[in-house]
Amino acid sequence: MKEIRIADRGFRAIMLRSLVQIVRRPVYWTGFFIFPLFMFLFLTTMLEKGLPTRVPAAIVDRDGTSLSREITQNLGGMQMVDLKYTPNSFSEARHLMQKGEIYGYFLIPENFKADLLAGRKPVITFYTNMTYFVPASMLFKTFKATAVYAKAGIVMEVAQSAGVDAESLSSMMMPVNIAARPIGNPQLNYGIYIANSFVPCLLQLMIFLMTAFSIGQELKYGTSRRLMQMADGSIFKALAGKLLPQTVIWWVIVFFMTAWLYRYSHYPMHGSWGWMLLSEFMFVPACQGFALFVVCVLPNLRLSLSVCALIGILSFSIAAFSFPVPSMYPAMGIFSYIVPIRYNFLIYIDQALNGIDVAYSRMWFVAYIIFMLLPFTLLWRLKRDMNNPVYVP
Amino acid sequence: MFAVYCREFKMVTHDVGIILFFMFLPLAYPIIYSLIYNPELVKDVSMVVVDHDRTALSRELVRKMDACDQAHVIGYATDLGDARRAIDSHKAYAILEIPEGFARKVGRNEASNAVMYCEMSLLLRYRGFLVASTNVMQEFSSELMTENIDRIAPLAETIATGDLLPVHNVSMGNIRNGFDSFIMPGVLILILQQCIVLAVGMAGGAQRESMRLTGYCSDNLAPSVFLTMVAQMLCYLTILVIPIIFMLHYVPLIFRFPMAGDALEIFAFILPMIFASFGLGFAFQSVVTERETVFVLWVATSLVFLLLSGLIWPMYDMLPVWRWLAGICPSTWGVEGFVKMNANGASLSQVSGPYLNLWILAVVWWVLGYCSRRWVVRPALMKLSSR
Repeated sequence: MKEIRIADRGFRAIMLRSLVQIVRRPVYWTGFFIFPLFMFLFLTTMLEKGLPTRVPAAIVDRDGTSLSREITQNLGGMQMVDLKYTPNSFSEARHLMQKGEIYGYFLIPENFKADLLAGRKPVITFYTNMTYFVPASMLFKTFKATAVYAKAGIVMEVAQSAGVDAESLSSMMMPVNIAARPIGNPQLNYGIYIANSFVPCLLQLMIFLMTAFSIGQELKYGTSRRLMQMADGSIFKALAGKLLPQTVIWWVIVFFMTAWLYRYSHYPMHGSWGWMLLSEFMFVPACQGFALFVVCVLPNLRLSLSVCALIGILSFSIAAFSFPVPSMYPAMGIFSYIVPIRYNFLIYIDQALNGIDVAYSRMWFVAYIIFMLLPFTLLWRLKRDMNNPVYVP
Repeated sequence: MFAVYCREFKMVTHDVGIILFFMFLPLAYPIIYSLIYNPELVKDVSMVVVDHDRTALSRELVRKMDACDQAHVIGYATDLGDARRAIDSHKAYAILEIPEGFARKVGRNEASNAVMYCEMSLLLRYRGFLVASTNVMQEFSSELMTENIDRIAPLAETIATGDLLPVHNVSMGNIRNGFDSFIMPGVLILILQQCIVLAVGMAGGAQRESMRLTGYCSDNLAPSVFLTMVAQMLCYLTILVIPIIFMLHYVPLIFRFPMAGDALEIFAFILPMIFASFGLGFAFQSVVTERETVFVLWVATSLVFLLLSGLIWPMYDMLPVWRWLAGICPSTWGVEGFVKMNANGASLSQVSGPYLNLWILAVVWWVLGYCSRRWVVRPALMKLSSR
């Protein structure tokens, strides 16, 4: 990169230099704008429906009686399932599943009705392809409900024929009922889980990368010495001037993100916008602090970028967006707390999804501050390397 | 071509960055990821109980709930507010509220309702609670129902001796319903693709960079663009053979992922995906002007590829534009075929659709890769060397 000819020194000059660098290179545009904006659009439109509906499935009716046809009709009428095939045998259905045509199938055995009426207890079995978790879970629910309804109908018929009156039967079928109330997300919208965790996590990745990249570039091309001269030898001034314009850009982006997720996409916001925005605004310098710390430890463009990329990508799993920390091995779970996104996620749950008092999430805000202060412990090291940059290819 | 192969081999083995991609990424990443999710199931999630009934029946309900694999009752709360505080302070994730008169209603042959409030921060927890409560509900109900019917009309032995119509469910492919076995086989394929694209991209960046810094150009020796590409790919494949076998065969073995497929067929299937990834990598070289930019430009795409693969969100339910985008990613078809073969035991002929698509993609990406090398990378290198 060519030196930018700005004669004067000082904070403002450094900021201007930093901005000019961003404007000049398309790689910065990609990192700052194109990826984040694409991701907003991508995730929210992809998961717009919340849950997949009409999951392709099949029914194997080996009985072929009025009863089995009734079950087929009931199943076909369910909202979640699309009965695409009616294969003749188990193997045929399994082949369809292996080919990916269906996500599960429902099997009514031979002599089903006859066995049932004779009390020989035929077994209804349904198969779901759990390698595709979400659609298979939908199918599981639908299949189970169909089977339970079928069972209830049959038990009622049998009991009625034995002389039990219909009225006391209906309450007898399900004497105990436990109604599940999903709080905060009654439609079980899957999109809010993916979008609200993956979008900030992607931002964390990009903030990590851009921070490490922009400082590493100075070290790689030896321009850091000039930067230090402009800052009159103060590492604090140099880095503040370098990173502050980036912070402002990220602030604009997280503001847009918050509006996009909670206003435009109508993801649940049961708490206060203020705390949520504060969280997002603190999240940016926390991520920058984390990346800066990595750069301080490894003052080399390639190594620090590798580490940032590694941690940034691992965050998608280790921050426990889908698999809870207490269920992980403790030795792995502990690492979920070393990334800023974990705290962003926890605050989002407390403030946006559950809308509880901010006092419950105060510790997560403190964690942000710790991330911001982290690099100060090693700035002296970076100062040494900024003054004597060595590039190891 | 052999000369290029040797030269490239020497260059790669001396480049720590590329070696890192070839060794660390395919060897360490699958292990780290698998370890994160390896417990597979979410068990014993804490819940609190608000019991307004305080009868033997309500206590039995709570005991049954606690006995479930998925739930763990940490204690009783006096009222809903108290229970709510336990949720807010992240001690419990669900409240089971049993209303007053719960047992009395059952005794009067009326339907008795309990309510379970679930905190929805993670879907897996909710799913666990739902499964637990459904199982408890059914078990409880069939016990009570048998008792009741027997009392009213002591006749039907068929009913009295238990379940009239047993319902079984079988989870195919991922028999434990585990999270690791669900996500990891797909992620392995993604890691493979990303590892290839990143390494090829970085090699391209390194070449341009070394031109700029030292004036050394390796491409001048090359007889043709295409042969150089082939030689480079063969060279990288030599290094990658062991990592690929490790990833696709030994990682599932170590972590006990489903392995229903035929190993040779799986490798035959994955071959065109590897070719296509190289083609994609060569095409990617056109925008990589310096080695480190690959991180900024490519790392974040992993997420896009994961979501497009159809593993998390089914492909048939995507917007046409995303389905189209998914169609041109080698990983989409790679994941689809690999998961079907590995977990569902499909044969190569059963995944012929994805297989054919992968070969088409391999050709398409190689053509694009050739174009990028011929008309973008090479002129750029020429310009640099003439400077």
